Amino acid sequence: MTTRPSPKLRPTWADALVILSVAALAMALAVFQWRGGDSGGALTAVVSVDGTEADRFAPEELLEQPRTYTSNGYTLTVTYGVDYEDPSRNALPPSGKSGLRVAFSDCPTQDCVRTGTISRGGQSIVCLPARIIVRLEGGPGDPAEVDAVLG
Amino acid sequence: MRRLILYVLLLALLGGCAAPVDPDTARESIQVLAMDTAMLITTYGERSVPAAYACEDTIRDLEAQFSRTDPDSAVSRLNNAGGESVEVEEDLGRLILIANTYHQWTNGALDISIAPVASAWGFTEDSFRVPSQEELEELLRLKGRPQFSTPGIVTSVSLSPGQSIDLGAIAKGYAADKILEVLQEYEVPRANISLGGNVLAYGGRPDGTPWRVGIQDPARAENPNAFAGVLNLTDSFAVTSGGYQRFFEENGEHYHHIIDPATGYPADSGLVSVTVVADCALPEYPGTMCDALSTALFVMGEEQALDFWRFWKSSKTPFELVLITEDGRVVVTEGLVDRFTQEEGSGYDYETVS
Repeated sequence: MTTRPSPKLRPTWADALVILSVAALAMALAVFQWRGGDSGGALTAVVSVDGTEADRFAPEELLEQPRTYTSNGYTLTVTYGVDYEDPSRNALPPSGKSGLRVAFSDCPTQDCVRTGTISRGGQSIVCLPARIIVRLEGGPGDPAEVDAVLG
Repeated sequence: MRRLILYVLLLALLGGCAAPVDPDTARESIQVLAMDTAMLITTYGERSVPAAYACEDTIRDLEAQFSRTDPDSAVSRLNNAGGESVEVEEDLGRLILIANTYHQWTNGALDISIAPVASAWGFTEDSFRVPSQEELEELLRLKGRPQFSTPGIVTSVSLSPGQSIDLGAIAKGYAADKILEVLQEYEVPRANISLGGNVLAYGGRPDGTPWRVGIQDPARAENPNAFAGVLNLTDSFAVTSGGYQRFFEENGEHYHHIIDPATGYPADSGLVSVTVVADCALPEYPGTMCDALSTALFVMGEEQALDFWRFWKSSKTPFELVLITEDGRVVVTEGLVDRFTQEEGSGYDYETVS
């Protein structure tokens, strides 16, 4: 009795495509996991309004044009700039970091304006009256940075 | 058939890449607006996602009981009961009982019944003004501890007519205590919980080092990167109260939100910031203790605060302190010396007390 290979078992282009797709997906997952899930990556600003994400952008995009957000009857203007030691007077020297700040808000507390410039992942500016949060995600991790702030 | 086997093997390979979850890198981070502040919950481990959302549920549940601005909350019902007794849930009853205890221990420096005074200053409604002396004296007469209908058993509570309470000075600390229970229930290996001035540093960083928790420099409050020092914490609660956090200015005067129950005015004790640190493993709600004492010791001032700390050292719930004074000193109690890093170039004089 003789056997001969079935023509159906010969690899086809479709098989190659499936194999390559699976391999690529596996590699992508491995890289994602190696980087620790959602940490790392380019520094990104995420603006949420009343708990819902409303905007997402690279901070440098605000170099050309500030962005304005309105919620709960209050309006905030977010700009990109240099982190001065005393933002109220733009006093030099700057700390050497650039980032986002709320340059204007018509909210009653002004806590968001007083927060100053945020420049690294994990920092946020909160306007409670407007229920708006401007948060930075990603960016290079630094073991010397703080994980949380009291006060 | 062989082709099918080949595909199954490939899928197994793919699954093999994705399945193992490193508990030190798998994490969930969510931001919550609640209790009049912004909260950041970051949990690690295989159950980091359900744990984080369970923490949020806990916060929402407590806020629904403790909020003074929500007309449907239990506290609002109590405040509007006109002196009648109101049945409360276990958490609210317990927290009022704890507040009563710290009121007694701090000789009235913590007083949840000064809510009408805080409202007169506009700190509850964000409509700031300076009330008259007569108005403050009138409101201060309403102070007094809430009464339990059956002492020792938390069932129902009553206030005097016209009286109202505000749990803002201790509610977030209690929330931190309850969140600790959630983290333990979900077997979370590490978490970094920030509840607006209240931090729960649970476990340590994924690299095995303690969490680094910065104490905001009150003199440079506009700069979120400016610290008076950094605490290196593992399994600890830490809470800061400061006069620079919420304030308004009128006619060149600075009025902050920490009211001295004795005078009805913003506390003027010579301190600009008080940080209280305690071990998570302590009994009797250590997170609530840190929150209550950060406010009370701010009102009491440096000398009384340190006397209180010395008295408390031998108790079953010891705590440590970082005090920042108006005259530019950072005073650190001895138990924190190994966990506190001075900030070079901050301009402060650092002292250790024993």
